[in-house]
Amino acid sequence: MNGRNSWIVAKKELAGINYEKTIVFAILLQLFVALFSSFLMVGLTSLYDPSSVSQYSRFRYSIGYSGANSSLLDRLQSSEDFIVYDMDLSPALESLKERKLAAVIYVPATAPDAQGPVQITLYTVQNDLQATVVGVKLKDVLVGYESDLRDARSARITERPIDLSFPPSAQAGGFYEFVYGLLVPLLVFMPAIISASLIIDLITEEYQNETLETLVSTPITFAEMVWGKILACEILVPVQAGVWLLLLALNGIHIGNPVPILVLVSVASLILILLSALTALKYRERTAAQFIYSTALVIVILFVVSVPDNPLNLIVRASVGNAGAEIYAAILLVTGVAALLGYATHLYAKRVGRLAQGGL
Amino acid sequence: MGVFSDIWTIARWEVRKSFSTMGRNVLPVAVILFILLVATTGFVARSGMHLQDGMYTIATDDRQVADLLAADGRFTVYLGEPATILPRQSAFDLVILNRTVFVPFTERGQAAAKTLSRDYAQYVASVYNQETDLFAAYPLWIDSQYVKSELDFQATQSGQYLSVRQRSLTPPVPAGPVVQVTPPAASIPSADALRKVLQQDTGKNDQIARYTNLFTQLPSSMSTFKTPDQLTPTLPFDSIIFIFVFIFPLYFTSQFFMMSIMNERIGRKGEILLSGPVHPLAIIAGKMLPYLAGMLVTSTAVILAAHASLLILLPLLPVILFFLASALLIGMLSRSFKELSFISIFFSTVATSYLFFPSIFANVHIVSLVSPLTLIILQVQGTGFTAADYLYSTSLFYLTSGVLLYIGAVNFNAERLFDLHPFLPRLREFVGSSLSRAHPYRSLFLANVLLIPFVFMLQMMGLVLLFNLPMPLSLVLLIALAAFIEELAKSVGVYSLFAGEFSTLPLRTCVLAAAATAVGFLAGEKLFLLAMLSQITDSVFGSILFLQQGALLLWMPLLLHFAGVLIVILALRYGGRRWYLPGVLAATVVHALYNLTFILGAMR
Repeated sequence: MNGRNSWIVAKKELAGINYEKTIVFAILLQLFVALFSSFLMVGLTSLYDPSSVSQYSRFRYSIGYSGANSSLLDRLQSSEDFIVYDMDLSPALESLKERKLAAVIYVPATAPDAQGPVQITLYTVQNDLQATVVGVKLKDVLVGYESDLRDARSARITERPIDLSFPPSAQAGGFYEFVYGLLVPLLVFMPAIISASLIIDLITEEYQNETLETLVSTPITFAEMVWGKILACEILVPVQAGVWLLLLALNGIHIGNPVPILVLVSVASLILILLSALTALKYRERTAAQFIYSTALVIVILFVVSVPDNPLNLIVRASVGNAGAEIYAAILLVTGVAALLGYATHLYAKRVGRLAQGGL
Repeated sequence: MGVFSDIWTIARWEVRKSFSTMGRNVLPVAVILFILLVATTGFVARSGMHLQDGMYTIATDDRQVADLLAADGRFTVYLGEPATILPRQSAFDLVILNRTVFVPFTERGQAAAKTLSRDYAQYVASVYNQETDLFAAYPLWIDSQYVKSELDFQATQSGQYLSVRQRSLTPPVPAGPVVQVTPPAASIPSADALRKVLQQDTGKNDQIARYTNLFTQLPSSMSTFKTPDQLTPTLPFDSIIFIFVFIFPLYFTSQFFMMSIMNERIGRKGEILLSGPVHPLAIIAGKMLPYLAGMLVTSTAVILAAHASLLILLPLLPVILFFLASALLIGMLSRSFKELSFISIFFSTVATSYLFFPSIFANVHIVSLVSPLTLIILQVQGTGFTAADYLYSTSLFYLTSGVLLYIGAVNFNAERLFDLHPFLPRLREFVGSSLSRAHPYRSLFLANVLLIPFVFMLQMMGLVLLFNLPMPLSLVLLIALAAFIEELAKSVGVYSLFAGEFSTLPLRTCVLAAAATAVGFLAGEKLFLLAMLSQITDSVFGSILFLQQGALLLWMPLLLHFAGVLIVILALRYGGRRWYLPGVLAATVVHALYNLTFILGAMR
């Protein structure tokens, strides 16, 4: 096993990637996603947390209020989000249709402490972004009104929850959990997944283009060649992941502990790369190898995510700055697994190489 | 008849071949993997996701509160005396003392508070559910009613909020006649029925369940009644589940097709097939047929499994065709496996964004109809879609697939399949050989007519991505982007046709080529608009993208298009290939300035 030979192969593969400009596609992809992260922010964050939508408008909405007087009217009038007009239902609804109002509320004359419920009617415009935003803003007011009514009926309530009091308006932080808890691990691990699929291409290509014969006739052994390819794929991971962290930082998302994160991603991706290298050596044909790899990948990721203290979780914790020594323990553990797998790959590659030399 | 039997034969070969390469070795492993997948899913269902465990640390002096918090893995809970907590206060994201929550002014602290308040609301709901006197615990019920207002672009024109931003103290007076409405009467169902809904709801109020229940949400009479806590917005961001369910299988299958095309090129294996007396189109159709059938079967199976309407197949069909046509070209263009991987990953990301992003606004904005996925959402929701909607959102997919297939078929020959030129020159050759050298002006005209769907697709993408930016910015960006896309598209034909001979091109040819391009482009544009896009052209965004409503002044846009192409051609003629991009940029500037003056004139 000669390290220099592997390095030659790795350099050849990297040069090939560079020559084909395929890496341009990977970079374009990163830019594509990074460029539209503003969209991701608005769109996908709301997917994760619908109530964050309301931060996107600072307008006062006109609301029509109709029906009996109630504490809801007071609450609406003192709210900074709304201008309330007390009017009849029919003209109010017509104004809503003409978009002169954002919503109309009808409140019946039910006493606050009545036996039955207070059933109010909320009219909004269908198919309108505005209706959604108004709905989110109204929710706070309505929750307040609900607690008024609950107080009026408190004598009848027997089941009481623990009472926690929150400071007023803890509004910010809607993006936080989405960005750090989902986006960061996803983006940081994407290069690992791409690299692992790349190694299949590199290995099966030698088989399917029948260039293996030429390679084996050089002083480079089969195992050295495989390691060279693994090295080429592995080098790409920290580079790409690092670019992600940088792009995120440019977007104002600062990642804590970047170095341990990059190390952990690199070692963990080595496991993926070795697994798919083994798959490629076994099947020697891209379609089959990629099929097995992508199915296995789903299983591995599902399994890993459902184990407490998994590497992805540790990356989340490290990126928010909430991880201690456990990330180093994880790096050690993952390195151990990678080393075992590496040894297995080495043995298998040597065996395949012997067979190839004999059989070709 | 001969063609069909050819196609059928090739399709049978394709199936047999893929089974022999995939067969013996892969099948047992695939079965094992499938069993493992089921087992893992079961494991995940039992142990839950542990992605965000320990994101926040909380200190409290109350055992009951600590127990409550421990149920959420995101919190690491520290239980201690106030005297021990207070000195180390800054080490925690939240501190709860004496049942009062203290939130630090850090981003993480705020996020933790938000998570906590959501958890707490859910906990409170689960307690109040048990209340015997339900209307004491839940005294307020909201009946949501929707008023239909015509989708109104005037409202969006100056930012979304124009019409409701008035600040007068007197109530608004409707312009139209007022229809007398009787106030709604109390119509709330019994307490027991409501309790059932409430209890179901607290069970599934977590992030994952929202998506899995998307298909099974049946509209019932009770669901219009909500407590304030249930008043969640109606934006169907959840539509991402449809991407996973419907689009990913298609993407997966198209990978096999890509690979099959690629395999024909490795070691010139496809030469035998090409030398046979079969038309290339028949070969492509035959090779495509099994994958088309496979995609249709998969989609049908998914639809049936989800108990959804089979009408969903209609909007899926153009997407399937588009994926197959793109897969054909990607398989023909890539030089190596790694290039195939990168290009297909890139393609799938872009295509997925094109399908997904508009569909987020399915119930909100007409732009959403750009994506066929929106039709699927509407169908699942029970709203349904009209034939006009269908035409509007799928015609781009049908047209582009047709053009891509044509380019693929024209280039499906030994010369193109087996050479190893770099990607972009290859792409140019592909387009170039789709054009006729014998009739340069006619083919330039036709090429530009056929380019229109792609231009619209790219511009739609720009529209979808930019329309929610603040108003002046989105306008300017969109103008620049639209101009660039159009100029680039117009230059593709000339560039491919005359590649390598620019410097010797007679000026007469330059002018005529520019004229043919401009006429073709304009004709395609107008045809397309007349056919279907009138809805979107009424918006201010539409007029930027698809030029002025001043269709009566046809010669103005014609002149603009002509000038644009001529700039590019002349740049190539006198500057050589290096001046291609600067030429396109210069044309873009001219185009953008023209549009800007027009739009500004129209807005005034």
